[in-house]
Amino acid sequence: MTLHESGAAKAAVACEGVWQVFGENAERALGDALGQNDGNAKAAASLLRERGLIAAVCDVDFEVGNGELFVIMGLSGSGKSTLLRCISNLIRATAGRIEIEGEDLRAAGGRRLIELRREKLGMVFQHFGLFPHMDVTENVAYPLRVKGVPARERRARADEVIRLVGLEGREGAYPRELSGGQRQRVGIARSLAVDPSIWFLDEPFSALDPLIRRQLQDEFLRIQARLKKSIVFITHDIAEALKLADRIAIMRDGEIVQIGTPAEIVLRPADDYVRGFSRDVAKGKHACVDSIMRPPGKDAPGDGDPGLRPDMTLDAALASCMSLYGAVPVRDDGGNVIGSVHPKDLVAALQVEDS
Amino acid sequence: MPLMQSLSSLPPSSRAGVAVLATGGLCLVFTPVFPWLVVFPEAWSLPVSEWIGVSLTWLFELIKPAARMVSFVLEHPMTWINGGLATTPWQISIGAVTALGWYIGGWRMALLGFLGLGFVLASGYWIEGMNTLALVGVSVPLALVIGGLTGIVAYEFARVRNMIRTFLDVMQTVPTFAYLTPLLLLFGFGPVVGLIASAIYASPPVARNVLLGLQRVDPEIKEAAIMSGSTRMQQLFLVELPAAKRQIMIGVNQSLMAALSMVIIAAVIGGFDDIGWEVLLTMRKAQFGESLLAGLVIVVFAVLMDRMSARLIEEGARFDFRISMGIFAASVLAWLAGSEYLPGASEFALLDGVAERVDSGLGEFTAAQGARLDEIKNGAMFYGLLPLRIGLDEAVLPFTWGFQWDARMSALLLGAAMAVALVLAYRGRPLAGTGLVLAAGMLETGIANLPWPFVLAGASALGWVAGGRKLALYAFLMLAAVLISGLWERALLSLYLCGAAVFACAVAGGSIGLLCAISPVAWRVVRPVCDMLQTIPLFVFLIPVLMFFQIGEFSAFLAICFYAIVPMVRYTRHGLVETPAELLEAAQACGTTRWQILRDIRAPYAAPTILLGLNQTILYAFAMLVIAALIGTTGLGQSIYLALGQADVGLGISSGAAMAILALVADRLVQGFARSKREALGL
Repeated sequence: MTLHESGAAKAAVACEGVWQVFGENAERALGDALGQNDGNAKAAASLLRERGLIAAVCDVDFEVGNGELFVIMGLSGSGKSTLLRCISNLIRATAGRIEIEGEDLRAAGGRRLIELRREKLGMVFQHFGLFPHMDVTENVAYPLRVKGVPARERRARADEVIRLVGLEGREGAYPRELSGGQRQRVGIARSLAVDPSIWFLDEPFSALDPLIRRQLQDEFLRIQARLKKSIVFITHDIAEALKLADRIAIMRDGEIVQIGTPAEIVLRPADDYVRGFSRDVAKGKHACVDSIMRPPGKDAPGDGDPGLRPDMTLDAALASCMSLYGAVPVRDDGGNVIGSVHPKDLVAALQVEDS
Repeated sequence: MPLMQSLSSLPPSSRAGVAVLATGGLCLVFTPVFPWLVVFPEAWSLPVSEWIGVSLTWLFELIKPAARMVSFVLEHPMTWINGGLATTPWQISIGAVTALGWYIGGWRMALLGFLGLGFVLASGYWIEGMNTLALVGVSVPLALVIGGLTGIVAYEFARVRNMIRTFLDVMQTVPTFAYLTPLLLLFGFGPVVGLIASAIYASPPVARNVLLGLQRVDPEIKEAAIMSGSTRMQQLFLVELPAAKRQIMIGVNQSLMAALSMVIIAAVIGGFDDIGWEVLLTMRKAQFGESLLAGLVIVVFAVLMDRMSARLIEEGARFDFRISMGIFAASVLAWLAGSEYLPGASEFALLDGVAERVDSGLGEFTAAQGARLDEIKNGAMFYGLLPLRIGLDEAVLPFTWGFQWDARMSALLLGAAMAVALVLAYRGRPLAGTGLVLAAGMLETGIANLPWPFVLAGASALGWVAGGRKLALYAFLMLAAVLISGLWERALLSLYLCGAAVFACAVAGGSIGLLCAISPVAWRVVRPVCDMLQTIPLFVFLIPVLMFFQIGEFSAFLAICFYAIVPMVRYTRHGLVETPAELLEAAQACGTTRWQILRDIRAPYAAPTILLGLNQTILYAFAMLVIAALIGTTGLGQSIYLALGQADVGLGISSGAAMAILALVADRLVQGFARSKREALGL
């Protein structure tokens, strides 16, 4: 598949065959390894590792649509942060093609990269990455300052984003005087200062207490509902991924194991590794009726109609089918039957695998 | 062969020990037959000093005009600052320093500034002191620019980073006096030489700390700067350098102290009416009261600069600026109102009486206690230093020890050592046994008489154990370079004096450190003493030892010990105290007593830190050795000092390099051991 087959609109971010190998002469070693294995990525990666190189990202493909919230999930050492740094070109990928709104990032020169970062890209860091010698306003206004925006104008814009993240009143505080949650609000504000269209977040909430984390997740969703950025979001927390994502990519040992919607990840894990994650998750809360719905006419109609909708969670659907034994119809907003669900499928879907 | 088999079954360290032992034994047997084993024949050595001298003289002739130009240009700012400082009424100078003290540190700092400068004024050394400050005032900004640029270049270009690091290492180990000879030739006599020497000497700490500070900036902060769309320059100047400010300020503090120390040392070449010269002059005239007074002025400057710049490093509260302005205004008023009634800056001599009394008191003391002081000195010389230097076989004479050392006693000593070593080896500690035999052998021959193959083999073996083949080769080649350059004899003499001082520091400093680790009260007493000793410029250490023990090797030994003991105390205590609480709790939960905890938990955990302290002590000892040459030592320090007097660049540089080599090899070896200890602990 080439990159633009998927449609006329260019993807916000597109990666094709991205590799990041650390070690001496990484580029040549990668070429050798791929050549010896007829382009087989898995074999090439294990050959590289045998030779003492570190294959942090191996042959990664994915696309992020405009306004999509794309989450990359993986345990520590799975290469997810490295992958994000390749996409944002903080480190140069060893091989592959990375496009930002159709522009090849690996081909872009230093000057153009700076321009892109000043116009289109924003990034939030795990440990905030705040400048210790600047107060909140100066931190937030820094991207505008290096861009050459006049002082008055950048102050106004900084105030605007500071309000957006709910930090008004702390403008003059220094990072060391803020709590963890407040610091990350500053980080978020700074990354939004230039109003980027693409937003990278590298485990933004991992360093926070569970309570603050949930609070910031909710606010993040609120901000995203308003701003509709195209987002690449890194996390090691499956619950966070399921809560936030439009689509999730699960990484292991530098490779993407599965890409799918939260429901697909939970209900149809690609392998035992992914299943391991979803085992601890309350599936009924994350999967919806449409993920197990069958087309109309496949099942013999049953004896009841509890009024299922395609966007109901499985938990809710099961609750309303408690006393029913035959297939029930699923209706859309207009009341038209668009498919059917058998209660025993519901129960099967919610069953915890005992593999 | 069973012998080879049992050898190859030994751990590498023991094998190295056995190899050294074998070399030593062979040397011992063959020395009477081949005297060249001890005295490296002159015919075999290369005239390195002459070569360096000739090529450098040639080079200097080439760049002299440029150097003289620099000298000419630099003379101006120095004259200005000098004139400015000297003509500013003392009331205003004191007022300004007090006001600054208030602003950065409240009443304590203000009082420190006021009393400090008040003391300088009262001592009558105001003008000399201001001249010294002027030199520091010009050389430190110069050092900041040079060092800052070097640090930034090293940070920006990874290719040259290691090269610059090595260069900085060498710069800091090459003894201070060694700089002076080539600079004298280049820039001519005069204060500018001192200025440039101290700028050079004060640059490495800045470069090192700028590099370290930049490297330590949180990688996410750097990435955030990049993702904000900074250009490389914006990233460096708007984000990284300000974020590294704290570390850089530590460099500035060190640079200030280095510059002051060097300015004082540079007074040796004279030509400038500063406070270092005053110390030297009065020391030569044996006016120890005055000498002590002038030395105290230096100490006051050092303490003021150190404490005030250290306060600047600390972020946070500054004190009311208006009060500072008030203090300053008051001082201006005092000047306006009182300048007619109060004497000029140099006319104060309030403390002359004190100086004279110290002199006469000292005279009385040495007259009364001279015999006892001599006893101490001679005791240390005859029973400690001399045997270490020339060996028991030459040092034990009927005149001092009451009997003559003969072959029978040698055999007895070595035999006893062997016996104990065998017992140790049998008990599973072959390394300790080998070490014991080696120590006995070295005591028998004396460090200055050690055969060179033995020294080379010993250093290589240590290198091999501490850091593998590469370090062994490094130690061997470096020492071989000293050997063939014809400086071997002097190098061994330096090694002996440093070795003796380091050994004394290790024992005494280690014990004090241990005491401080056990008793917080002791640390409260020792800590300010350590702070003080570390602030005082090297030169000043000579005064008190001279007062009591006159010129000679023992005085030099004492001066080195006083200076070099501090890191040993500090690191020992730090290492012992900083054991993770979890380990201690685990040990306590097993029912361990305090002493058991100290022996089994704290001491092993502290070993790498203590080794680093030993490393610092060695470097300090080498640094002080050259200064101690002023009061009578033999060896490389003396050569460097002589070269300065005779403007002999070749000898100055080669001796300086040899000294740096000894220090660098010792440094690498100890660092290697510290590293392997750390790795063994998984740190």
